Amino acid sequence: MIPFILKRLASILLTFMTVSVIVFLMMHAVPGGPFDGNDMPVSKEVRDKLMASLGLDQPLYVQYFKYMWGVFHFDFGVPFQSPGETVVELLARAWPPSLILGGLGVLIGASLGILLGITAALRRNSWIDYLASAFATLGLTIPVFVISMMLILVFAVWLGWLPAKGWGKPNSWILPITAYAMIPMATYARYTRSAMLDVLNKPFVTVLRAKGLSERRIIFQHVLRNAALPMVTVFLPMFIGTATGSIFVESMFRVPGLGAYFVSAINLRDYPLEMALILMITMMFCVAYLLTDIAYAMLNPRIRFAGNTR
Amino acid sequence: MRLLDVQNLTVSFAQHEGVVQAVRGMTLHVDAGESLGIVGESGSGKSVTCMAALRLLREPPARITADRLTLGGTDVLKARGADLARLRGRVAAMIFQDPMTAFDPSFTIGHQIVETILAHRPAAKSAVRTEAQALLTRVEIKNASAVLNSYPHQLSGGMLQRAMIAMALSCRPQILFADEPTTALDVTIQAQILQLIKEVQAEFGMGLVMVTHDLGVVAETVDRVLVMYGGKAMEQGPVQAIFDAPAHPYTRALLASIPGRTSGRQRLVEIRGASPNPANPPTGCPFHPRCALADARCAAEMPPFQSIGPGRDAACWRPQ
Amino acid sequence: MTLPALELRHVSKTYPLKTGGGFFPRYSDLHAVRDVSLILPQNKILGLVGESGSGKSTTGMMALRLIEPTSGTVLVGGTDITALDHAALKPFRRKLQVVFQDSYSALDPMMTLAQIVAEPLHIHAEGSPREQTEQALAWLDRVGLDRSYGSRYPHELSGGQRQRIAIARALILRPTVLVADEPTSALDVSVKAQIINLLQDLQAEMGLSILFISHDLSVVRSLTDTVAVMFNGRIVEQAATEAIFTDARHGYTRSLLDAIPALNPRDRRQRQFLTREQIEASTPRLAARDLAHPATPSDIPQLVAVAADHRVEAIVTP
Repeated sequence: MIPFILKRLASILLTFMTVSVIVFLMMHAVPGGPFDGNDMPVSKEVRDKLMASLGLDQPLYVQYFKYMWGVFHFDFGVPFQSPGETVVELLARAWPPSLILGGLGVLIGASLGILLGITAALRRNSWIDYLASAFATLGLTIPVFVISMMLILVFAVWLGWLPAKGWGKPNSWILPITAYAMIPMATYARYTRSAMLDVLNKPFVTVLRAKGLSERRIIFQHVLRNAALPMVTVFLPMFIGTATGSIFVESMFRVPGLGAYFVSAINLRDYPLEMALILMITMMFCVAYLLTDIAYAMLNPRIRFAGNTR
Repeated sequence: MRLLDVQNLTVSFAQHEGVVQAVRGMTLHVDAGESLGIVGESGSGKSVTCMAALRLLREPPARITADRLTLGGTDVLKARGADLARLRGRVAAMIFQDPMTAFDPSFTIGHQIVETILAHRPAAKSAVRTEAQALLTRVEIKNASAVLNSYPHQLSGGMLQRAMIAMALSCRPQILFADEPTTALDVTIQAQILQLIKEVQAEFGMGLVMVTHDLGVVAETVDRVLVMYGGKAMEQGPVQAIFDAPAHPYTRALLASIPGRTSGRQRLVEIRGASPNPANPPTGCPFHPRCALADARCAAEMPPFQSIGPGRDAACWRPQ
Repeated sequence: MTLPALELRHVSKTYPLKTGGGFFPRYSDLHAVRDVSLILPQNKILGLVGESGSGKSTTGMMALRLIEPTSGTVLVGGTDITALDHAALKPFRRKLQVVFQDSYSALDPMMTLAQIVAEPLHIHAEGSPREQTEQALAWLDRVGLDRSYGSRYPHELSGGQRQRIAIARALILRPTVLVADEPTSALDVSVKAQIINLLQDLQAEMGLSILFISHDLSVVRSLTDTVAVMFNGRIVEQAATEAIFTDARHGYTRSLLDAIPALNPRDRRQRQFLTREQIEASTPRLAARDLAHPATPSDIPQLVAVAADHRVEAIVTP
């Protein structure tokens, strides 16, 4: 296992570097600079001076190395759109709401989805099954901003139970998290149901019954364990969405998260912020996949013992 | 009291295209200590009969009805959840055709044998593990303790089948069902497994139901034979009598078509035609479209399964 | 003397197996097939018998170059095809055809039966599309299926019927050699007989040579002219079929024959079984002068002729 992890860490580093080069080049390949927008017209001399002060007049590779040097010292520079703080400070400020929203959203959504999926699989073709499937389809097909609007309409406007926007007291978290949880719930309900059905149809389940094991033990000890394998593969990557912080939910509910910055960083050519955001997501993906692979190996004896066959 | 008493068993499956009658009116029995071979081709309903006896079929779409279906005296059709679980593994155990898919790939062999024992008899885990190891040794697995800790994918088909037998024996069942246990195995392993099954059957004093399509398996292993075709019983009798003097034309044709009985290249005796479609079985006797002796009555009316001599039954209008 | 339809000379297949080690994995060799030489004469059926792991299927695949031999030569009608590239090999593909055990996965479920059977003609550009279809239907008839089946799909057929389609497809190009890898193992008893008879009839009609790979000795006895027995990647005995069944010289062959179930209950018996090590140790020891063809004495087992057409792997003593 250890050599496996070490090899993966090495490849993560390689991925990271490759992504950083590609993104850096792509960023600078987009025409225009941070001071070309019409809302901040400046004369050419002022622009040149500003560019020089930010180090943007230097050759690309110099800019790249300077930036990466900073990165390895955890210095991501200063965002152009918010020069009063460093990128790291901006992330520290804006990431927690996205993380809470996304994290809780995925956790709650996935848990509910899994329960829904298990129930649907065990009561195949019954009304529960159809209800769960319909619910899951709705969660995936209705756009999340429509769901957000409906939630606001029902719970904030008509019933007045919950605030329509903001991010302060916990009761302002309920609606956005609900809206965010819909897609993970729907996805998980579907995955779980089909994973369970796949396992339930396997010959070894008949053998388990023939041995006289109780149905409960069969489901909880054997079927779930085997059904978990495909589900594990999708779980951690789903968390990555938390970093991008669903821009729709955040804007509908005025949650001060990272979502908006993703788009503004590109529009405003806010290179430091852009790079930081993308590198952050890259790392999250790499770590998520590594953890997934480890979890998978632990659950699946065949992978664990690959290369040690009789 | 008969160990297994089946009278007029019918099993049908509700499919999209219609109702499929896998077993139609089967009657059979097994007494303590005796072995019965059920011979038939694919689609004859032999495996379904076995599975129905332990109610291992998903109901629905399966529908099981019978005048009588008892296992060790207990009415199988009336048994509910926990009673059924008590029957399975303890009164009757079953071994299956493909040992590679019969085990849960995520758990060791040892775990799966131990859980079987613990499901029926609470005991200390370590004591049960010792028992499991002894069972593995009894089924001629040489490094039993290593196998206990192995996962299914690490073992060969022959080893897994032995482990499955050990698992089936772990609760001392009164009757063992074996559904084509050697079909997926090499010929030398097959011979070893069959011999093992016979030995443990005698040693544990169990009844045995051996389902197979291979007449050689039957010749080697069982006391009595039941021949099935098209979901119905065609003939039944002591194994020697069936081989020496088959009464039903199907049995005779089956025996004649076995390859390799005489030396040299030769044309084999064929049974022309194909097996009946369970969704749409022929009227009357299911074998009549392929039978050399069939007449109008065979096509119209199903012959009853009745005695044609001491210990012998057949369903034929023209038994020989 | 006419050239054999198919010949394998000292063919071997080795696979590298990873045997552990983290950053710098170690490999050892798995000898799936070791120095196998076979001759399939024209118009004959050769049975290749063995259990799983014996290498018989790998040998069959190497004869077709569906698996590339690690060493050795494959000759078809006297011509060495071992090193031919794709273009040069294509005309030989017409002469070498194959039928597999699992007829279900051997047929494309999206194609009709007529299309499946006609496909080889299409690949080798023989005839117009109408002629190809006509030929395909004629072959359906020849293998015992009604021509109306042409528009049906594989999933509508039984196992035996699908195998007939596979045979029709294999023979439509009139090959000289057919490699049949366990074609009857997945079939019911009564259907086995039908397929075996079909193969025999077609073989006689077309002058086909068949390499029949099987673990079922009973089937082999009724079908083949000669038999080669494989164990652990090597041939341990080869002779005319009856000689194998009545005069087997190698311990493994004998144990295979012993394992065949009785044909009648009165012949049932208790058996002793040999372990793998015991089988390896049971290599017969033969004196050089008793052999039909001379061989040098050696401690290493080698294939020697004990009679005109009977070879056995043995340790030759002076």
